[in-house]
Amino acid sequence: MKQIIAVTLMNLRTVPDRLGSSLVVVVGMACAVGALVSILSMSAGFLRTMESTGSPDRAIVLSDGALGEWGSTLSRETVTTLSDMPGVQTDPKFKRVVSADYSGYTVVAKKDDGLDAYVTVRGVGPANAALRPEIKLVSGRMFRPGQYEIITGVAAQSQFAGLKEGDRVSLPEGEWLVVGTFESGGSMTESELLADAATLMSSMRTTAFKSFTVRLNSPDALALFKRSVTSRPGPALQIERETDYFADQSRSFTKFLNTIAYVVGGIMGLGAMFGALNTMYSAVSSRQREIATLRALGFGAGAVVTSVIVEALLFCAAGALVGIAVALALFNGNEHALGGMVIRLAVTPQLAVTGAGFALVLGLVGGLLPGIRAARLPVATALRAV
Amino acid sequence: MKYLPLVWAGLWRRPARTIFTFLSITVAFILFGILAAISGGLAHAVNAARVDRLIADPKFGTNMPYAYVDRVAGLPGVTVVAPRQILVGYYRDPKQAFGIVMSDRRFFAVRPELTATKEQIDLLMRTRTGALITVLSAKQFGWKVGDRVPVISNTVKKDGSKVWTFDILGIIDNVDQPGRSRFFISNYDYVDEERTLEKGTIDRMLVRIKDPARATATSRAIDAMFANSGAPTRTGSEKSQAQTGVQSIGDIGFFIRAVIVAVLFMLLFLTGNTMMQSVRERGAEFAVLKAMGYSDTKLLAIVMAESIILCLMAGLAGLAIAKLGIPRIADLDPDTGRLLLMPWSAIGTGMGFALLVALVSALAPGLRARRLSITDALAGR
Repeated sequence: MKQIIAVTLMNLRTVPDRLGSSLVVVVGMACAVGALVSILSMSAGFLRTMESTGSPDRAIVLSDGALGEWGSTLSRETVTTLSDMPGVQTDPKFKRVVSADYSGYTVVAKKDDGLDAYVTVRGVGPANAALRPEIKLVSGRMFRPGQYEIITGVAAQSQFAGLKEGDRVSLPEGEWLVVGTFESGGSMTESELLADAATLMSSMRTTAFKSFTVRLNSPDALALFKRSVTSRPGPALQIERETDYFADQSRSFTKFLNTIAYVVGGIMGLGAMFGALNTMYSAVSSRQREIATLRALGFGAGAVVTSVIVEALLFCAAGALVGIAVALALFNGNEHALGGMVIRLAVTPQLAVTGAGFALVLGLVGGLLPGIRAARLPVATALRAV
Repeated sequence: MKYLPLVWAGLWRRPARTIFTFLSITVAFILFGILAAISGGLAHAVNAARVDRLIADPKFGTNMPYAYVDRVAGLPGVTVVAPRQILVGYYRDPKQAFGIVMSDRRFFAVRPELTATKEQIDLLMRTRTGALITVLSAKQFGWKVGDRVPVISNTVKKDGSKVWTFDILGIIDNVDQPGRSRFFISNYDYVDEERTLEKGTIDRMLVRIKDPARATATSRAIDAMFANSGAPTRTGSEKSQAQTGVQSIGDIGFFIRAVIVAVLFMLLFLTGNTMMQSVRERGAEFAVLKAMGYSDTKLLAIVMAESIILCLMAGLAGLAIAKLGIPRIADLDPDTGRLLLMPWSAIGTGMGFALLVALVSALAPGLRARRLSITDALAGR
């Protein structure tokens, strides 16, 4: 151990002389880790938004086989029978804490580039306030049933034009008035517009709902609710805990983003690794004599290999830190509209760990081979060299 | 040319260093090729989209009445209008859901890129549960002409079942993307008679027009016709929709440029460092050359030439791997492959970047060789 520290310190003291070639590793790794972490921050932000949308004590019901809300249809009769199922929480004011939702979309312009974006317009039932208490008005007032009124999420309002209170939004049967603004703890709902389901559906001349969400008596009541729904007569339905549903919904998109991140970051990392190999090989060969002297003095091969690896790891770690810092400074917290959905990029501690781990693995490879070569140098030859 | 052996020998003075630098540059240009293929693929999608085809979708997500089709067909300049309803379902694996186009013979008139023959279309029209599928779909599911295939859908039939049976009548292809296009086309009457909800409605109209110059005017006319109804439309040419679609994926262009800048920046450091190391080590050799009468500028040129040869060869290798490799990815996964198309021009651009990297990164080392004083270098100072 003492040997390792001694050799490593000796090596590191020569770094200022080789500043240029050491910087190559740092810069290369910074670029690779920066690219990796920046792209991953998009999927992490998306995942965080989706996760905060679901709650473990809510369950969502869709028609069987529907891949998501958009592909689901629930008739009025189905919705009525669902409200009476056991396991659903009751409330003195609304009786049952449920909401049959209808969701459509409207086209708005993105503020930054003026391009069209499809924003979800969600019609919710009268008990929505009890079902989704995280939705809180920050200004204005609630929409009134029977009136062509909507409230808008803060994320939608900040990213898209024409969604201020008092603005009119193009929806069926003319223009609907924006009467309030809400937030909901950074969830997906903040990129949506909310209206009264019955009013929205009659204006769209449809009677079929898209989804049905209930608040369960407790998170454990899901099994009871599920059993009761499955055993009732009528068309088959799929019931999922809301948290699972949103995790499923986000899976393919996060997978897509992660693939891009690892392909781009991986290729750049490979390039940076070759740079590290290069630097470490030249570092080792320029120190042939010192290393041979140490070996002649009785330092072990292990100490020599370790010292080279530690040096490579230090360079890579420095690069990773720079890369992560740049990603953090440039992207963390940025809001980005993808289609009609607003994502807040998140450079999470977990991503920082991923980025650093990625750099260290590459650094290990970049240091191992040159280290072995350094240890293998025949002492006599190396001492005679130069 | 006669200096080539000298330059070549200089490059191979330390093979390990040259090889690692070469590999770094190669890898960077593979990435460049992939990024060029992504933007090329998107550009191709926009180019392949037709200006004489309008797409009319529901403005707010609710289906449109089937009767719209005839009203749109009556507009001046409109040659044919096809109704469309997508039936979403899966075959065996619920995770591999796909859409079935439920339409009629007019669909083939608005999509002439599909190779269905008149006989195939006639047969489809006579067979309510018939279907024409593309080569790729046939291959994916292992279906042949004559097969009767069950598709599980979330659309319930009037008998309460969700199993929709289709008879495969013919296998067609898309001339725009031979072998890489998915289509499964059946009859609108089949879905509309069997479904229980949203009867008599469609989710899209495809409109063929005579004069592409009238695309915007005709789109406006269609939207105006239904503006005050319960199901207003939103119409645009396929081309303008493709453009919006590409832009809405996010700032792909910005992302690609950012990555390319990062990669080039990394390469500048890498190659610059390699050349600098090489020049430093060879102080004495350069001094000998100078003593033999090589001019300062000639030495600068020799260093530049080494850098250029290294970068261009490695760049070409990377671009060639990308150009040859990307179609292989497309063979493995047609859905990803469809989005990737690396144009030949990308090789030119890539080589341009390689040259730029070579020149910039060799500048400092080259000047150092140029400035080198014979006595100092020979004395080992």
